[in-house]
Amino acid sequence: MEDKQNNSLLIIILDTNPVWWGRKQLANDQLTLSHCVDCVTVLADSHLMLTHKNKLAVIAAHTDHSVFLYPRPQSEKSMAVKLPDDGQYEVFSQVEGQLRSQIQRLIAADKVKIDDMYEVAEQPSDSLVAGAISMALCYTHRLEKECPIGETLSTRILIIKGSNDCPSQYMNFMNAVFTAQKLNIVIDACVLDSDSGLLQQACDITNGIYLKIPQPLGLLQYLTWVFLPDPNTRSKMALPPRAQVDYRAACFCHRHLIDIGYVCSVCLSIYCTFSPICSTCQTTFKIVGPQKLMKKKKKL
Amino acid sequence: MSKSSEEVLLIVKNVKNKKTDGTLYMMGERMAWMLESKHVFNISYMYADIKTQKISPDTKEKVQLQVILHDGSANTFLFNNPKGRKCQLQDRESIKELLQQLLPKFKRKISSELEEKNRVLQQDPESFQLYKDLVVSGVISPEEFWASRAHMLSSSSNKLAAGQNVGVSPAFLADIKPQTDGANGLKYNLTADIIQSIFKTYPMVKKKHAEAVPHLVSESEFWTRFFQSHYFHRDRQALASKDIFTECAKNDEEVMKEEISKNVNDPLVDLTQIKDQNIDDEYRGMVDDTRSSNNIANQSMIRRFNQHSTMVLRAGCSISTTLPSTSTSEDGSSLPKEVLKPDNGRKSKSTNGSQINGMTPLPNETSCSNYLEEPLRKKRKIKEKLVYEDLDNGPTQEGVTLRLTHMDRYLHGPTPATSSSSHMDSSVSMGEFSTEDAIQTLAYNVGSWGTSRHKLPVRSYALSVLGELSPGGALMSGTSLQKLHQQVTPATRDEIKQNYNAMCELLRHFWACFPVSSKALEDKVLKMRVTLERFEMSKLMPLKEKLEQYHYAMNLTGHLEEMLRAAYIKFDMWQAKRSARRT
Repeated sequence: MEDKQNNSLLIIILDTNPVWWGRKQLANDQLTLSHCVDCVTVLADSHLMLTHKNKLAVIAAHTDHSVFLYPRPQSEKSMAVKLPDDGQYEVFSQVEGQLRSQIQRLIAADKVKIDDMYEVAEQPSDSLVAGAISMALCYTHRLEKECPIGETLSTRILIIKGSNDCPSQYMNFMNAVFTAQKLNIVIDACVLDSDSGLLQQACDITNGIYLKIPQPLGLLQYLTWVFLPDPNTRSKMALPPRAQVDYRAACFCHRHLIDIGYVCSVCLSIYCTFSPICSTCQTTFKIVGPQKLMKKKKKL
Repeated sequence: MSKSSEEVLLIVKNVKNKKTDGTLYMMGERMAWMLESKHVFNISYMYADIKTQKISPDTKEKVQLQVILHDGSANTFLFNNPKGRKCQLQDRESIKELLQQLLPKFKRKISSELEEKNRVLQQDPESFQLYKDLVVSGVISPEEFWASRAHMLSSSSNKLAAGQNVGVSPAFLADIKPQTDGANGLKYNLTADIIQSIFKTYPMVKKKHAEAVPHLVSESEFWTRFFQSHYFHRDRQALASKDIFTECAKNDEEVMKEEISKNVNDPLVDLTQIKDQNIDDEYRGMVDDTRSSNNIANQSMIRRFNQHSTMVLRAGCSISTTLPSTSTSEDGSSLPKEVLKPDNGRKSKSTNGSQINGMTPLPNETSCSNYLEEPLRKKRKIKEKLVYEDLDNGPTQEGVTLRLTHMDRYLHGPTPATSSSSHMDSSVSMGEFSTEDAIQTLAYNVGSWGTSRHKLPVRSYALSVLGELSPGGALMSGTSLQKLHQQVTPATRDEIKQNYNAMCELLRHFWACFPVSSKALEDKVLKMRVTLERFEMSKLMPLKEKLEQYHYAMNLTGHLEEMLRAAYIKFDMWQAKRSARRT
């Protein structure tokens, strides 16, 4: 067979924002977190099933922290060993068990926190996706180092996200994305709710697939159809085309995406309207041609 | 027949062309030749078409004149006056003179405009196509077309003007090859270039020329005298007082003296120590230079050579007295002068010069100021040689520190466009639920997590997802098997491209009128609007109809129409504003 063993590592970043999932459930949406996790489990098992060399990691992007759902540190593993009773491949049952128990623990911790608090603080409605990507990149880096000679590791990251984009994570997120691009790591995104401009950019930069699924209940099918094949195989398949990505910048004053704007020549701040003084670096701009012309016209 | 209004400048009979006799006519704009017995011109050349003329050498028996045209063809006329060779020569001279005067006039006209335009069109097929589309079809006038391409036309001529000042060849006088005219005379053919060179190098001659030529002596007389004085009186021993160039010679002397006085203050070069010999000549080291004052004629010859070189160099760097070039020129030219001129009226100055060289201390005539000045100058000179500005590190300037007040602005991304999610009713209503409720519900949901492995796929959903992801489904739009550029034939593509080009050109003219600041622009706007409408009717509509027959999925003329609409809207706005202002 081949001399070089190519190990494929799939890192799934799952948005476990309890607020978003909880509200969704309250709104009687059919897609629940448990259903989503079940789908992810099936995808993970399928991936592991393709080759026994394939590797898997699942990271939960929570509101205040990101945590590895699978694999867990060595110390924890020993106590969780419980052989399946129905003859299932033990790694599968391990994956399923760990995902479930970890998510349950996460949600429970949130519940405890809320119960403890006298007054409920408004939880942020976004998840720490940037942090989760960073963790994934670090994990990849470690595995690559541990990779035995003669074997290569190709990594891709799949982000399954429902909650909104977080503007405050912008810089971290983009940094992580560019790092992934540099490491030849493909970032795919499966968006459950509203379109995410940041994820679109991330997928476009790293040559991944961005898909906003029209029917959340068909999640499993989308996952296995679009995201299971690895990037090399994808070129041979008829997959959804790459969408036009909006790379417009947002102005500093209102955070709106603008087509044409004013850029401060000193600090590169972006504004949607002209202001004689840059509010970021206090540079004053003296002459503006068009304005002078306007004045002259009025005089005439 | 020749036009009656045409002005006939000269008629020369007995001119043979292709062995048949005829008459040569020189007219206002063309030269023509008519067969003896006829009344129609057999040959007619516009002066503008004539590139140059050639005449047979005097040694040849036949007296001929050749006319070479721009297209490379040539025609030869043989002057065959029965009165003899002298008359033949006379005939030819008269034609030649006339042509000489006429050709430059017409040449300038054609080369500066038509040729240039022709060249542009040939080099740029896109412009050529535009020219065909717009000018030939009468959509815009040629003037307008070329007005927008002025940069293309003028570029070449501007380049020359802006370029480096062309210097004078040092051998320009020697390059004039005089022809002996049999007897004791010499014939010089002076071109405008040579005259220019002479004027550039010897401004005094130019002055004399301006003074003397029209009234005192004729042009040719002037140049005859110039060469006589310049070449045969090279020794300048006997200066005839009546000669107009006597003054020039005197001036030359003045210039020489000035040169001597000016230069040689380079502390790094000691000219007085340089001897005209090889260093390793028999390895002697010391040679008495006894040749210094042998022959007065030789001396003055060398002086003249040096002066000529100086003048040539000076003409080259006429106004710009950049230090390095002039200093080298002075070094080079002054070297023999200094050595070879033991005694002239400016002795004190020249000794000063050598003194500044520093190596040969002359006891006499050293003034105090020189002593003070000298080290300073030396230092400056040495520094000039040692220090290279561009190798310096340069003072490290303290940059202006950037004071940023809102650093976080850089770190924030765009606010999520909330409107995009509005189609999902649930997401709007989701905000109604409190965080606490949400988490509680989720906790309950997660707590009662049963094994649902076997009931994951929902049949109806699975089917619709299958539809979506199959080719032609909702998610697969845009992956039609054929790409647009494969659908459209190359011919159609070219046609669309041409129309794009033509229309963009028209639109450029249109938009260039804004802001409408003058009456001319106003007229042009109105005209352009009409032109655009005409273009739409005559070109765009047929194209659109043609494309509709192919049933392309995309509207290929959509963008063209959009651009037109934008122009019309702009025009209407401008017109509305204008009429509002008037009322």
